[in-house]
Amino acid sequence: MLAVLSVEIRKLNRSLAALLAVAAPTLIAVFVFFNMLRGKAPSPWDMWMGSASGIWAFFMLPMSVTALTALVAHMEHGPRSWDHLRALPVPRWQIYAAKAACVLALVAAMSAAVLALTWGAVELAAAIKPQLRPTGAFELAGYARTLAMMFAAALLLVAVQLWTALRFASFVPGLALGIGGTFFAVVATSAKQGVVLPWQMPVNMLATEAWRVNTALGLGAGLGAVALVLLVLHLSRREVL
Amino acid sequence: MSAPAIETRDLTRRFGRRTAVEAVSMTVPEQAVYGFLGRNGAGKTTTLKMLLGLIRPDAGTARVGGVDVVRDRMGAARKVGALLEAHGFYGNLSGRENLDLTRTLLGLPKREIDRVLEVVEMTADAGRRVAGYSLGMRQRLGLARAMLGAPPVLILDEPTNGLDPDGIADMRRFLRSLPERTGAAVLLSSHLLGEIEQTATHVGILGQGRLVLEGALERLKADLAPEIAFAVDDTARGAALATARGFEVATADDGLVARLKPGEDARTAAAALNRALVEADVAVFSIGARPRSLEGIYREVSAPSPSPKTTLQPQPEYA
Repeated sequence: MLAVLSVEIRKLNRSLAALLAVAAPTLIAVFVFFNMLRGKAPSPWDMWMGSASGIWAFFMLPMSVTALTALVAHMEHGPRSWDHLRALPVPRWQIYAAKAACVLALVAAMSAAVLALTWGAVELAAAIKPQLRPTGAFELAGYARTLAMMFAAALLLVAVQLWTALRFASFVPGLALGIGGTFFAVVATSAKQGVVLPWQMPVNMLATEAWRVNTALGLGAGLGAVALVLLVLHLSRREVL
Repeated sequence: MSAPAIETRDLTRRFGRRTAVEAVSMTVPEQAVYGFLGRNGAGKTTTLKMLLGLIRPDAGTARVGGVDVVRDRMGAARKVGALLEAHGFYGNLSGRENLDLTRTLLGLPKREIDRVLEVVEMTADAGRRVAGYSLGMRQRLGLARAMLGAPPVLILDEPTNGLDPDGIADMRRFLRSLPERTGAAVLLSSHLLGEIEQTATHVGILGQGRLVLEGALERLKADLAPEIAFAVDDTARGAALATARGFEVATADDGLVARLKPGEDARTAAAALNRALVEADVAVFSIGARPRSLEGIYREVSAPSPSPKTTLQPQPEYA
């Protein structure tokens, strides 16, 4: 399994998927940087980190997962490499499990990058305009915990998007599902039922009501883990004609 | 006696109501270059996919290197290297990096990459990204990848696609020499009859999902309905005489060509027709056996309504 995993990681070298994994958190940090420079009075760390993780969970995470799964799947669909991969003396479930692990690792790395780059952006802006240096403490553990919960709540979203991207050779079903899901997640933000929508589960980690947090986390992480196992089983047994 | 490199028995695959491959029983001997021919849609790709364990047969068996593909896919996959029509390379990686991915999955030492790159003469370009490769370079890289680990069976789907004439000649030489150099048997799927004729030692022809002809190429040419060319002074009368004696006849400027029935003794038939022509005062200037071309054989047996697989009986050689 380690060999298959290392192959999946090496495929990302100089790929668009790797570029996206860097670009998405960077965009959030750039936004926070310029937003802070526009300010007239200092704001607390909580505000900057809350705004970065809010943008991440609300919009950037679902859209990034949509694009990332499409790009990772297209690395095989594009050059039609499934036949080559599936003809090798490697258990097929390992190929799909490694792909899922790779996507999850990228999403986790992006979540960590949101934290690190936002901290860097705020520090840089504070160095340029010292009078805007944020107030309060930088609660690393708290911010990391929130982002980790968002990641866990996003497991179902990752499973749904990855299955669609791997199952269909075309970009279109995955992108349509991801854009549609994100759209409904945005318009149904305050709706009670929105909490069961995979694309809205990560942003519910910022909710003040405990039931929302618990429901989204339980469904996202629990069903997500089950869905990832089913994805691997289904795709590895399926014939690719 | 060791097992054939590839052996299928009554291999069948249906897609809905359509039978793509029907009861195909083929044998690729060890160290043979087996040309696998058929029109588009004849079932070649489906057969190759079943041999590689990519799709499951509805009936029948397939063994690669003596290992049953359905019962032990992994075991069979260890015996085979494949160059498929879709190359499946990652354009963002170099040729060497692409090979290294497969090498890692096969658990082979790093030096295998240098070995196969040398074989296909790609060492100098191996550091470049595959996205910048020509089609011919991708073909050679695909061949290098198929040879990683020196498998005893190679399945190559249209390996000369995209090659220039020099590249085709090189590839032809290379494929011919493969069994001797590596001990591998090669199953070569192609639509280029000339290519197969100059490369293969054995052929199998698929027509509408059924294997309609199989055998050693030289024996097929010698045994399958040989043709005898007669240079005569009166082509029309000669042709009428030959036709009256049951030969299938074609005429040319300098004479006629009589096609024998499969299994008919060529020397006896040629002598009988010669005697008939001479007795009828048709001057015969020369008699010569015309070797059958693969194209002729192919057109004959891969017609839309193929007869069941032709079984060849050894025939005396016609000198």
